[in-house]
Amino acid sequence: MANRLTFPDAALPASTQEIRARVRTFLQDELAKGSFTPRVDTWLSGHDAAFSAKLGAEGFLGLTYPKQYGGQERSALDRFVVVEELLATGAPIAAHWIAERQSGPSILKYGNDALREEIVPGIAAGEIYFSIGMSEPDSGSDLASIRSTARKVDGGWVVNGTKVWTSQAHNNQYFIVLVRTTPASESSGRHNGMSQFVLDLRAPGVQIRPIRLLSGHHHFNEVVMTDVFVADYMLLGVEGNGWSQVIGELAYERSGPERILSTYPLLAALVDAVGPDPSAEAAAELGTLVARMAALRRLCISVAMSLDAGRSPVTEAALVKDLGTQLEGEIPEVARRLVAPGHNEAFDQLVADSVLSAPGFTLRGGTNEILRGIVARELGVR
Amino acid sequence: MTMSISTSTVDPLLLETIEAMLADLCQPEKVGAAEGGLDPVLWKALTESGMSTVGVAESAGGSGGTLRDAAAIAKAAGRHAAPVPLTELSLIGGWVCEQAGLALPSGPVAVVIGDGTRTYWAPVAESFVVVTEAGVALVDRADATLGRAGVNYAGEPWADVSVAGTTGPPSLVAGPSPAMVRARGALARSLLMAGALQQAAELSVQYCNEREQFGRPIGKFQVLQQYLAQMAGEAAAAEAAADNAVDVVAALAAAAGAGAARGPAAAGEAIRIIAAAKTVTGRAVGTINRLAHQIHGAIGYTDEHRLQYTTRRLWSWRDEHGTEAEWAATLGRSLAAAGGAALWTAITAWPPAATATATG
Repeated sequence: MANRLTFPDAALPASTQEIRARVRTFLQDELAKGSFTPRVDTWLSGHDAAFSAKLGAEGFLGLTYPKQYGGQERSALDRFVVVEELLATGAPIAAHWIAERQSGPSILKYGNDALREEIVPGIAAGEIYFSIGMSEPDSGSDLASIRSTARKVDGGWVVNGTKVWTSQAHNNQYFIVLVRTTPASESSGRHNGMSQFVLDLRAPGVQIRPIRLLSGHHHFNEVVMTDVFVADYMLLGVEGNGWSQVIGELAYERSGPERILSTYPLLAALVDAVGPDPSAEAAAELGTLVARMAALRRLCISVAMSLDAGRSPVTEAALVKDLGTQLEGEIPEVARRLVAPGHNEAFDQLVADSVLSAPGFTLRGGTNEILRGIVARELGVR
Repeated sequence: MTMSISTSTVDPLLLETIEAMLADLCQPEKVGAAEGGLDPVLWKALTESGMSTVGVAESAGGSGGTLRDAAAIAKAAGRHAAPVPLTELSLIGGWVCEQAGLALPSGPVAVVIGDGTRTYWAPVAESFVVVTEAGVALVDRADATLGRAGVNYAGEPWADVSVAGTTGPPSLVAGPSPAMVRARGALARSLLMAGALQQAAELSVQYCNEREQFGRPIGKFQVLQQYLAQMAGEAAAAEAAADNAVDVVAALAAAAGAGAARGPAAAGEAIRIIAAAKTVTGRAVGTINRLAHQIHGAIGYTDEHRLQYTTRRLWSWRDEHGTEAEWAATLGRSLAAAGGAALWTAITAWPPAATATATG
């Protein structure tokens, strides 16, 4: 068996300490001002445009982007530190989240100059927000089976189809939509013939319908596109190359600290809720969660450092996401065992939000079963 | 040949050397034949090459090298089920001797902590590193009395040891406390487990490709693919937990060497991160051993298959120097006492930032 899974040494550079201190101070000030209440799962559910714009103004967004597009050309590890501080504090960061994490980098990598200039500075400013346009009613884990299409017309493309589970489409301005530009039947393989476009969610022909979660919350939407015109310059990368562009982004999408920290604010609250002198059983459960989190955070840092060094640790990222999302779900399970409901309102709220969000942790961004399949293939058994 | 390894700051030549030595001398039949004692051929090779004292300063009689070097050797020993008390000398006893200014013994040692109950490897030790609340000492085998004795699940021997026998109590010098030495033992077992957990996962991958049922390799079945991925995940997490502990302990030692306080705060921090390591590695044993045996079927449950040399060690090591339940409670109590607001500061100190480990 070859040496297929590699986690190189993890140690954040000392240079990240300055920005960590800066973002901590900012967050403490904001908390003192009462500008947000710490919640769990805020990267998906905490949509707060004013707070995102504030982060942009403070220079905490688009850290890695080129200066000419509003960025600071800093290391991805600086971004890692900022992001984990925001997550750990439970700040509302959903508005800019997808845009800043993956849409901006995709546009920088594959977009043309006009598109970059139009959109990327707004992302770095915390003012332009994106959703993800991948899943469809009949295409979940099997993404290559999508049926949405774009047909070439004069000056652009006409898009038709339906996307689902589109978080925050009702609040965001754009999504990057994956569509077929060549029918599967005419492509040389099922992974060929797909393309990505930046699509304006307010354009004529776009209908956005809420899909309520079991919690009653409205994050998800169905996005129906009927003859939506998209100008030529909105095509990302090369026509027909959409699949490999999507796959290349997965290591970024899957390995971030949001895959271990979604319920961290509950874990911190649990430490206080069990009190300074917990029973041996409570101490052991708490210690087990934190020990696990520290280990997974090391793996997360290792993957971030691999990415920063120009490697593409797709399998390692899948492995970390599998472990991390399980831990995210385990935290509310332990919390509710150790501290009965009625402890205090804030704690109960964190537990309730975590329990009701937990089913999504191991689904979004690739189910854990799919992730394990990726790991197994790399181990050499498929 | 490993699923995950953190090697970037460990000399690749050192790793190649130890791998080659262990691959040659830890064939399953040799591991089996050594049960109840140690393998003298392997011990001699490790001693003569200096591998048994990597991590102990040359000035203290060791081979030099960093804690990371010693950790990499310990992981390799765990992976190969090396039937020798390597870490008792390199990571535990040698460290006590270095800290206390005692001469480093050349033969196999056992570390007698507190009252000497169930001292691992005592029956094959030529000398004992004795650790008490009042101080530490090096005691010759002839001056110690062995009581009740036994072996762990893997045939590694232990005995109760008394050192206050015929010649009276040994003269003690200042050294690490029993609690710190026990933590050091837990660190050693965590590293051995990190290596052995990888081995159990790798043997399972191999078996999935070799064994055919229903006309195809059993690795073609999705359920077993899911098991293998879970095992790879647990093994990676276990190694990360052990590596975190090595890095934090090395950074604390470097800070102490640079003049920072060596007080209770540093000791407490070392114990917390070692507690985290023993917790994660110990818990991983439950999952990985269960799945490894499930995958291997009946043959893996017999003494004919090499898997058992790894899984029996893992079941033993997770109990030695404190179970995961005990260490998790130690960590949890410390975190609870510090309060929720301090938790994030604690977590973000593991692993330490790059400069802090540069000299570790």
